[in-house]
Amino acid sequence: MFRKSHFNVRKFIYDGFDKDMAKVVFEREGIWDCTTCSACLNKCPKGVDTLGFVTGLRQLMVEDGRIPPPIRDALKSVSTHKNPWKIGAEKRSEWAEGLEVKNISEGADILYFVGCTPAYDARLQKVARAIVEILKRAGVDFAILGNEEGCCGSEIRRMGDPWTFEYLAEENMEIFKKYNVSKVITTSPHCFNTFKNEYEGADFEVQHYTELIASLIQEGRLSFSREIGKTITYHDPCFLGKQNKVFDPPRKVLTSIPGIKFVEMDRSRERSLCCEGGGGRMWIESEDSEDRLAKIRVGEAMDVQAEILATACPFCLLTLEDVVKTEELEASIEVLDIAELVIKAL
Amino acid sequence: MNKGFEPNIVGFACNWCSYAGADLAGTSRIKYPPNIKIIRVMCTGRVTPAFILKSFQSGADGVLVAGCHPGDCHYIAGNLKCEKVMEVTKRLIDILGIGKGRLRLEWVSASEGGRFADVVKEFTEQIRELGPFLEKSQG
Amino acid sequence: MEPEEIRIGVYICHCGINIAATVDVEQVRDSASQLPNVAVSKDFKYMCSDPGQALVRSDIEENDLNRIVVASCSPRMHEPTFRNTIQQAGLNPYCLEMANIREQCSWVHEDKASATDKATKLVSAAVAKALLLEPLEEKEVEIKPQALVMGGGIAGIQASLDIADAGFQVYLVERDPSIGGHMAQLDKTFPTLDCSACILTPKMVEVERHPNIDLLSYSEVTEVNGYIGNFTVKVRKKPRYINMGRCTGCGMCAEVCLLKGRIPSEFDLGIGKRSVPYVPFPYAVPSKYTIDAERCLFLTKGKCGKSPACKEACTADAIDFEQKEEIVELDVGTIVVATGFDLFDATEKPEYGYGLYDNVLSGLEFERLVSSSGPTQGKIVVGGKEPRDVVFVQCVGSRDKSVGNEYCSRVCCMYTAKQAHLIHEKLPDARLTIFYIDVRAFGKGFEEFYDRVREEGVRYIRGNVSDIIKKGDRLMVMAEDTLVGEPIDVEADLVVLATGIVPRVDVKELMRLLKISQSPDGFLLEAHPKLRPVDTASDGIYLAGCCQSPKDIPDTVAQAKGAASSAMTKMAKGKVKVEATTAFVDAFICRGCGRCVEVCEYGAPELQEAGQGVLVSEVNDSLCKGCGACAVICPSGAISMKHFKNGQIFSQIEAVI
Repeated sequence: MFRKSHFNVRKFIYDGFDKDMAKVVFEREGIWDCTTCSACLNKCPKGVDTLGFVTGLRQLMVEDGRIPPPIRDALKSVSTHKNPWKIGAEKRSEWAEGLEVKNISEGADILYFVGCTPAYDARLQKVARAIVEILKRAGVDFAILGNEEGCCGSEIRRMGDPWTFEYLAEENMEIFKKYNVSKVITTSPHCFNTFKNEYEGADFEVQHYTELIASLIQEGRLSFSREIGKTITYHDPCFLGKQNKVFDPPRKVLTSIPGIKFVEMDRSRERSLCCEGGGGRMWIESEDSEDRLAKIRVGEAMDVQAEILATACPFCLLTLEDVVKTEELEASIEVLDIAELVIKAL
Repeated sequence: MNKGFEPNIVGFACNWCSYAGADLAGTSRIKYPPNIKIIRVMCTGRVTPAFILKSFQSGADGVLVAGCHPGDCHYIAGNLKCEKVMEVTKRLIDILGIGKGRLRLEWVSASEGGRFADVVKEFTEQIRELGPFLEKSQG
Repeated sequence: MEPEEIRIGVYICHCGINIAATVDVEQVRDSASQLPNVAVSKDFKYMCSDPGQALVRSDIEENDLNRIVVASCSPRMHEPTFRNTIQQAGLNPYCLEMANIREQCSWVHEDKASATDKATKLVSAAVAKALLLEPLEEKEVEIKPQALVMGGGIAGIQASLDIADAGFQVYLVERDPSIGGHMAQLDKTFPTLDCSACILTPKMVEVERHPNIDLLSYSEVTEVNGYIGNFTVKVRKKPRYINMGRCTGCGMCAEVCLLKGRIPSEFDLGIGKRSVPYVPFPYAVPSKYTIDAERCLFLTKGKCGKSPACKEACTADAIDFEQKEEIVELDVGTIVVATGFDLFDATEKPEYGYGLYDNVLSGLEFERLVSSSGPTQGKIVVGGKEPRDVVFVQCVGSRDKSVGNEYCSRVCCMYTAKQAHLIHEKLPDARLTIFYIDVRAFGKGFEEFYDRVREEGVRYIRGNVSDIIKKGDRLMVMAEDTLVGEPIDVEADLVVLATGIVPRVDVKELMRLLKISQSPDGFLLEAHPKLRPVDTASDGIYLAGCCQSPKDIPDTVAQAKGAASSAMTKMAKGKVKVEATTAFVDAFICRGCGRCVEVCEYGAPELQEAGQGVLVSEVNDSLCKGCGACAVICPSGAISMKHFKNGQIFSQIEAVI
């Protein structure tokens, strides 16, 4: 059985009809288990906004102050430091030291929006550096916001704080306007999704970085000189695949790398299994202790004899790699971001 | 302020969709303001700019033309023809100083009784805000 | 008529208290009596009743009235009633005008004063128009006693038989090489478990033998022009490359074909294979072979081996690679549309793994598997083995906003129950599970059949399946058992998806061909959903079967009989009256610019020579539907609409403000 949680959206909605909403929410387990992957939303044959319902419920809890401490801390950190990792804003661009990356105040075609996790997390900083290297090699005119960059607000909203989200969105849009930003690429599908679909009035184009790399390869501006002779499979991040239907560009990038044997897992594309990184799950574990979905996912990758499990999302990378470490599978499989693979082959 | 001003509104509704929708509002007893008087045509494609001008000339403060949703016209595409004609008519009445806000084109299906009532309520209020037409033109 | 001679009778209906409670009918009556040319103004409790109508008739006679205004309910309700009334009193039925003071006045307004005021204005508008009304003659056209039936499934077959039995000529056009439609693909039918082929083939044979039915198989309708009673239809007879007169149906050509067993059979949905020359199924009607021109090596590449084996093998010398398509023109009086449906493509629901896993089948594919005439002779075998666990998933592609089909396909609950029963019959040890949202067993014998299937041990679990994934070489079906509120996983060797019924993929072409409309759900639009389910808005064109909306065989047969009856009623009368509110041209003003011809969807206006190279537009009353588009576009104001002339509408506008 692939069951994880007592979380049953239908039960919440059903009971909400009769009982006082707040009592229902506070009595039930599982409200923080939801990863906001949107599988329920895509599936519902009656077009019920199940996802909106969950975030609405969480909002009630946030209003009442009844939030688990890790979530409360993450939210507070965003208000104070503009990132959920409780690290100061002045350290936000330390990852770029020595790379000579342009600041957007100098003007550029594309703004590379790094994101909180790639900016601060040591493991993900490698991905940010890889992306910078790739863009330089392709001769792309890009820049970063440096320490002015602040959280996109995606997970904040999903954790039940739409007020901070709106504040962040307004601020970000103002900053983009200030620097005449017309096109943005992101490391994270979460930033990508929220810029594209939730920033009302946004007048800039936004792409996930894999989309840009795919077109750079198509245009011949990137070419590979080295081989990676391994079997690779790709895990579709929910916020990139399921929610925005971006399935092919990451695959295009991977299959362009010489020497690769590309295999698909059974559950790929729309059927991809959520890694449990979204919706605040980076900061809170599920109360159930059955198998983590990330563990099942790594198992599925090994089922198709993949030596490398590639992905394109900071949260997916962290949760999947965590499984490899705790289950001691380093000898069998490696989790890498697409950017890291591209860099190896350039 | 336009207190106490009751707008005089003429409506053109097509026999197959909007007139039926208006009838449905009646069968469902949904209330809306009595300012609108409806003239039945077989298709909104019949509505010529002359009808609109005549309406304002005779003292109407607003004109509502209601037809079938695109794709549903009983005569295939009469409503789309009407849409094009209304676009030009709106510009014409703007130039003439009547103001294109006084002419409205809406799609109402035979099953949209509630929607018909909503449209009429909204339009009546809109015209009330704009004020009387003839008084305006008389300076 | 000179204006002074017009004498109008005005009647204000109380409609009990429906109007009178809100509108002061006496006041309206009195105001109306003051209007010019109003000779009589009365109020009455129920105008549509016998005494109400009698009042109008006697007033017409006693007071020499020649125009009548009835202020009551909607004209959509009673215009025909009152037109009839005045016609009985000797007046032309078009000398009636109605004012809608119920649905559009008393029922929607609360303030009595303003409602009465509005009613007064509506009545004076009606009176103003009545003053300008003219008597109109409804034209009569003849109806040819021939019918075209489009589609040779059970709906088309039944309609054809009924019409032909009544003595009318029927042209049945079917695009596939054989008639039979989807019904021919079914095994046993619910709830009686009648063998589909057994009940269908006698009817198919009857169609072929019937002296009044001209079966044009492997043909398509390409053009339809005209109007009720006088449709001209062009039919394209596709070349079979086999001479129908000579072919004996022996099958030698298929035996010797180089590509034998290599081409997926459409009838078997790709599960079975066929040759290039083929009959779709053993009991096809006509039972003649057809060469698949797209797969034939000789026809596509010009060469097949040393020479086409089929031609050599045919002892009747029926193979004719030179055969060309033929265009046939038919004149018919009525058309019955029975074009059927397509099956929902389950690849649109990727979570079910259809197309990815070999052991996930659509409802119809399973039907072919379980049919004794099917590719496995009815043996239920998956991956070389008999399945131990079978799961059925209901509502695939139906009742589902996410794929754009909000409607219920009506047949799936029952066909799933039937399929479960069939497996149980053949594999009594198999464990069967059906995941459902609701079970719709509404018809005669349906609920009893559903009970029987459950008593046989089929497990019904209420919950929409969310995912189907691979587990080894089996499948794992994941859902929530909503009756207990717990998630449930079931392993299966075979999953059957109850795929729904969708409109034919080329429904839009069909609509353009016949100038009929589509309902919001995509199926063809009937004239009235309750009272006219087999008519379309176009006179003379009728609908039968699933092309109008999903339904099972008994309902299809009933509707086909209904459509046939409607067609026959018209054809039996021999003549039909065409609505008189058509366009007319003042030839004197018309300058022959042709804009009316361009704008008309029905081809009603035509430019005719009026001597000395002068072109003038003339309207064919039978084609004109009275929409008025031409009147708007005419730059000279030469063309106008009877009963909706500019002057008439102007008078309404002036009076209503």
